[in-house]
Amino acid sequence: MSGVLAVYQKELSTYFRSPIAYYVVAVFLLGTGYFFLYNIVLAGETTMAGTFQNMGVLLVTLAPLVSMRLFSAEYTAGTAELLLTLPLSPWQIVLAKYLGALTILLLVCLGTLVDLVPLYFFGTPETTTILAGYVGFVLLGMACLAIGELFSIVTENQIVAALITAAVLLGFWFVGHLESFQRSDGLRGLVVYLSFARHFTDFIQGLVRTEAVVFYLVVAGIALALSAGYLHWRR
Amino acid sequence: MSSTAASIVLDSVSKRYGSRTILHDLSFSVGRGEIVGFLGPNGAGKTTTMRMLAGFTAATTGRVMVAGHDMATDNVEAARHIGYLPERPPLYDPLDVTAYLRFVARIKGVRRTAMAAELERVVSACHLEAVVRHEIYKLSKGYRQRLGLAQALLGAPDVLLLDEPTAGLDPGQILETREVIRAFGRDHAVLLSTHILAEVTLICQRVAIIDHGRLLAIDSPAGLQRAVAQTNRVALRVAAPAEGLRDALLSVKGVSAVDVQPAAGAPALLDVDCQVDAGDGVEAEIARAVAARWDLHRLERQQPTLENIFLRYVATPVDPDAR
Repeated sequence: MSGVLAVYQKELSTYFRSPIAYYVVAVFLLGTGYFFLYNIVLAGETTMAGTFQNMGVLLVTLAPLVSMRLFSAEYTAGTAELLLTLPLSPWQIVLAKYLGALTILLLVCLGTLVDLVPLYFFGTPETTTILAGYVGFVLLGMACLAIGELFSIVTENQIVAALITAAVLLGFWFVGHLESFQRSDGLRGLVVYLSFARHFTDFIQGLVRTEAVVFYLVVAGIALALSAGYLHWRR
Repeated sequence: MSSTAASIVLDSVSKRYGSRTILHDLSFSVGRGEIVGFLGPNGAGKTTTMRMLAGFTAATTGRVMVAGHDMATDNVEAARHIGYLPERPPLYDPLDVTAYLRFVARIKGVRRTAMAAELERVVSACHLEAVVRHEIYKLSKGYRQRLGLAQALLGAPDVLLLDEPTAGLDPGQILETREVIRAFGRDHAVLLSTHILAEVTLICQRVAIIDHGRLLAIDSPAGLQRAVAQTNRVALRVAAPAEGLRDALLSVKGVSAVDVQPAAGAPALLDVDCQVDAGDGVEAEIARAVAARWDLHRLERQQPTLENIFLRYVATPVDPDAR
C-alpha cells in the first residue's frame, strides 16, 4: 500500500509541476462557468441540468489531456524502466496512476461548486438532483480516465494517446444517436446501453440508477484490468 | 561459481521479439561479493539481458533467478533485492533530488524512521550533497548519472545491475563512482555493463563477453588473457629479404603464421608480425633464427590487452546456421 501511495503522490507532484493540470482545470472551470451563466442567466433555466450536460461534454474532451501522460510520459522519459522494475505489481501501478488522475477530476468538481453559490442564493434548487448530477459526473470521469489510461499504456506518444482516447470517448458519448438507425431491438438496446450520454442524463435528472452506476464502474474496471494485463503482457 | 550460491543466475535464457532472436541460450551466474563486467558491442544483447534481470522484460525460454527468486513468477518480490541503473538514468525531471530519492526509497520499503539516514548514505556515496534541493531537470549530465546510481543503491539491494554507470562522468567522478561500485561489490552481486574496458580490468573479478546475443566467454580478466595468449603475437623489425625471412620464421617451432610488411618510413626494413603458440622461449628462438642471418632491429612479444581480447572474440563470425 505504501508503494501505491508513493506513486500516487509522485503523480500529483508531477501533474502540478507541469502546465497540463492547470490548463485542464482552468479550461474546465472557465467552460463550466460560461455554460452556467448562459443556462441560468440567459436561458433562464432554474436547474443545473443544462450545465451538467455541458460539463459532460467538456469532461469527455478534456479527460484525454489528463490521462494522456499517465504512461506515455513514463515511456518517453525512460522512467518506465524504473517504475516497472520497482517492487510494484502492475495493478498497483495502474491503480496509483488512476487515483492521481481521479484526484484532478475531483479538484475540478470542487471548483465547480462555486457555481452553486448564486443558484442557492437566488433560488431553491433540488439538492438531491444536484448531488445525483455530481455522482454521475464523477462516475463518467472514472470511466473516461480509465479508458484514457489504457490508451496511454499502449502508446509512447502522448498526442496519439490523447487523440485515440478522445475518439473513443466521443464514440461512447454519441453512440446512442445510432439508435434510430438500428432495425434490430438488440442493437438498439446495445447502442443505448453503451451510450455514456444516456446514462449521464439519468443522473442529471436526479436518477441514480444501479444499472448506470454499474455500467460506468464496469467500463472503468474493464479498462483498468486491460491496462494491468497489458503491463504484465508487455514483459 | 555454483548456481545455488549465486545471486544472479541465467540458465539457457533466450529472448525473441517476433521472429527476431535477441539472446541465444545465455547461461552464466554472478555470486555474492562478485563484480562481473558485461562486455559487448552495441546491439549485442547487453541491455536486453540487464532488463531481463531487472524484471522489465521476461525471458522467452530459460530461467532467470535473481536473489533466489524466479523472475518469471516472482519478479515483484525479487525487485525488493535489486538495484537497477538503466542505460538512461530514469529520472522524473519535475521532482527535486530529495523527493525523487524518497519516492524510490518508499517503494523499496525503506522505513520512515530509517529514511533520512538512507538518503544521506546514498547522497554521500554518490556525492550529491550540493544538489539535494535542486530540481532534476536543472542537473548536469554527470549529476543525473550519479542520481541514477544513487536510486539504485537505495535499500542496500543484494543485486546491483548497472548499465554503463560511468557514462557522462568526468575523470574524477569516474574514479569516485568506481570506488562506490567496488565497495558495494564486496558483499553484494554486481553486474556491470560498460564499454570502458579498463574499467572492467580495474574493478571486475570476472568478465562476460557477449555478441549477437551469445555468450562468447566468461572468465577473470587474467584468465581471458591467458586463453588468448594461446595465439600470442611477436612483432619484429628486420633488415632482410621478405621471402627468405618468411621461410626462416616459419621454420621456427611454435610460429604458426607470418605477416611481412615494408616498415613505414624505412624502406630498407621489414615489419613482421608472427602468430606464435603459447609458451615461453619462442621469441628467443625467433631472435636466434633471424639474428644469425640478418640485422634484427626490434623484437617484442605482445601481451593481449583486454581490448584485443574483446575485439578478437567479437570479430569471430557467428555461424548463422547455429542461430
